[in-house]
Amino acid sequence: MGRPGFVLDVDERTPPLLMHEGEGFRLERLPLGSQVIYPPESLPGIVDLEHAIRHALLHPHGSDPLPQLLHRGMRLTVVFDDLSLPLPPMRTPDVRQRVIEQVLEMAATAGVDDVELIAANSLHRRMTPAELKRTVGERVFRAFYPDHLRNHDAEDPDGLLHLGTTQHGEDVEINRRAAESDLIVYVNITLTAMSGGSKSVAVGLASYASLRHHHNVHTLRHSRSFNDPRNSAMHHSYDRMADVIGGHVPVFTIETTLNNQPFPAALRFLTRREWEWNLTDQASYLALKRSNDLATPKLRRRIWQATEAPYGVTGVHAGAPSQVHPHTLAAVHRQQLTEVHGQADVAIFGLPYICPYNVNSIMNPILVMSLGLGYFFNLYRSKPIVRQGGVAIFYHPMPHEFHPVHHPSYIDFYELLTETTDPVMLETKYEKQFATDPWYTHLYRTSYAYHGVHPFYMWYWGAHAMQHLDDVIFIGGDRSTTARLGFRAASSLDDALELARDTVGRNPQISYLHAPPLVLADVR
Amino acid sequence: MSGLRADLKLLRHGRDWRGRARVPRSAQRWEQPETGEDFPTAWARTAPAGAIRHLLQQAVLKPVVWSQTRPVVHGREYLEGIRGPAIFVANHSSHLDTPLVLGALPPRITKKLAVGAAADYFFDSRSIAAATTLLFNAFPVERRASRRGRSLAAELVDDGWSLLLYPEGSRTVDGWLTAFKLGAAQLCAMKQVPAVPIALRGTFAAMPRGQRWPRPGRPRVTVRIGRSLYVGADETVPEFRARLTRSVATLWAEDDLGWYRALRAAADDALALPTGSRSVLPTTSSGEPAHSHDVAPWRRIWEATRPPTDDAPRRVWTDD
Repeated sequence: MGRPGFVLDVDERTPPLLMHEGEGFRLERLPLGSQVIYPPESLPGIVDLEHAIRHALLHPHGSDPLPQLLHRGMRLTVVFDDLSLPLPPMRTPDVRQRVIEQVLEMAATAGVDDVELIAANSLHRRMTPAELKRTVGERVFRAFYPDHLRNHDAEDPDGLLHLGTTQHGEDVEINRRAAESDLIVYVNITLTAMSGGSKSVAVGLASYASLRHHHNVHTLRHSRSFNDPRNSAMHHSYDRMADVIGGHVPVFTIETTLNNQPFPAALRFLTRREWEWNLTDQASYLALKRSNDLATPKLRRRIWQATEAPYGVTGVHAGAPSQVHPHTLAAVHRQQLTEVHGQADVAIFGLPYICPYNVNSIMNPILVMSLGLGYFFNLYRSKPIVRQGGVAIFYHPMPHEFHPVHHPSYIDFYELLTETTDPVMLETKYEKQFATDPWYTHLYRTSYAYHGVHPFYMWYWGAHAMQHLDDVIFIGGDRSTTARLGFRAASSLDDALELARDTVGRNPQISYLHAPPLVLADVR
Repeated sequence: MSGLRADLKLLRHGRDWRGRARVPRSAQRWEQPETGEDFPTAWARTAPAGAIRHLLQQAVLKPVVWSQTRPVVHGREYLEGIRGPAIFVANHSSHLDTPLVLGALPPRITKKLAVGAAADYFFDSRSIAAATTLLFNAFPVERRASRRGRSLAAELVDDGWSLLLYPEGSRTVDGWLTAFKLGAAQLCAMKQVPAVPIALRGTFAAMPRGQRWPRPGRPRVTVRIGRSLYVGADETVPEFRARLTRSVATLWAEDDLGWYRALRAAADDALALPTGSRSVLPTTSSGEPAHSHDVAPWRRIWEATRPPTDDAPRRVWTDD
């Protein structure tokens, strides 16, 4: 059994601590008295996963067993989370493959012929055939691709169905095939507390018309945090939409949770507490740090992107989404929750090389912002780890790089930032234009581009943090890029703290969120 | 190259020579429980490993230690009667102690000698454990309650191995003598083997905790070997431990008082002997009454590092 997460008080014994900084990492000495929030150690994965999946399908929460829901002549749609989960991509066989194979075994036994598999990529880029094959496995891919295994297309005028509106007037429009099915089976991986539950179908299969009701500045500023569904306006909207969807089509969901093993054995030191590093860990650190620093940017990216996580599965729960999700959240909390007392004046985050939107791609500056001020800042329950008016310090080089195929609209969005970085202004003035731009739509549908509106969503993702924080500093950040985004760059932690002094004074309380592996700070 | 040096410097910050960092105070309650697995050491007691070790000890270890310090060894003659396994018991205040004892003992004994080494210190990292095992024929000794297996000591004695044990359990922090644990005495009683007391002086001054190399100037260090002690027929283990402690303390006092006065002091109960958690200096170099009372930490270190003033033999009979 892994040890629980805890908060370290940096004392004179504390060795330099590990920080991620994009496609690299470093050791950093934090000022004495700083707090470091460590995640719980990795829980053991389920040994007999095949049995656990079967058990979940046969003993679901709030639903009949899956075999009883399957019958000859029905329309079955199996939907699964796209490549934005998990991070890094897990070592094959992916847990989605293992779940889907068992679902299809049961469907075949029941004599179901009309089966479609859809990747719930929402406005994300389409998954390539190789990525689809990696996710669902060779057997499923061969049997269903390309006619019956495909990506969701949120811009297909014939492929969407408007199911109605919520009591708040929110449009609910999702994938037509799924909406007109006799049963949707949703195969999920819940890596963080924000995923799964009502979000799965309501977001994964939705169109822009539907997403704009919760992916907006107002909702995100009232989602505190979006990793705490009870206090997230965004999740309340998902729930309302899920009710509408549930009124039209039954959904049987299978949610899986993972442990805290995001790195392979060679990178074990990334998940160990620094004072427990043995000589092997230290030698690995030194060797990998030097080779990584000396490698060309291209090679470095290729190596990091090729990293496969040896995740273990900690839970498999199936049934009605509303009944399943509490069990899933409990499993996520068991693995990620660390209790923290009080907020700091300065929060430090080391941003890794990957976020949900740059798998096999480039993390451009907008994505860096969204990872830092969106995902990492929001890894809390109750209160952010940094106080209102505090300072956030991030480690990331933030190079001026974009993937022209995956992120074309990001390149143009970046230019908008010369005019304003205010999320409301950007939303009001430019969102619709980008969302409906025919060229972006064309690239989204036929190439492998994120939807035209996606960079706006990424910017909104950080809207709550931008409002909450008085200053944002990127250590090692490219100065012109950081300035374009409205932040400041510093060359070292000392410089960053010097810059922060104007805002938080000479002796600020500092908290460092030691992630990855993921940790959800339960701030009291 | 400068990048590597900078990375290495940062990595080494706060770590000792074994690469271990101290556990931050706030993390102590979350210390990793022991795995329950022992590092295998049997390979080090095979003939080829013994041959390599003998070569390393005689050709590398001893010349290095003898070149960096000025060892004076007394009492080798008491070892002539030792046949078969014995438990060598020494006070411990420096990493110099083991190489010194190994260099001071005759090869016929060191070839069949295993050294008890703290399991939580020398056997945590496999590379350090392997090096320690090969060079010193070390075997892990648990210093506190542990989930690991039983100590190998009894088994080794059964197999005819002599052992070098430090019954204080750890290097002293101030160079003074601390109370002996029961293990060594118990082993002697259980296996009916002799204990050979050894007192080491000057090693704390030469290379205390935290130092990786003896201080410059070839400091003088003394290894005094005493006569073997056997557990008496009616003697209990604690009584034998007390006798063992007194005998090490007497050897210790010889540096300050000379042989006969040290014996007299022991007979008169004038030597300070450690009890409980309090460390003592059995006698002082000035010949003043021993410090058994609590004194400031700096005074302990001050006394323990007082350089010897005179190498000449002391008079047996004095005027007082």
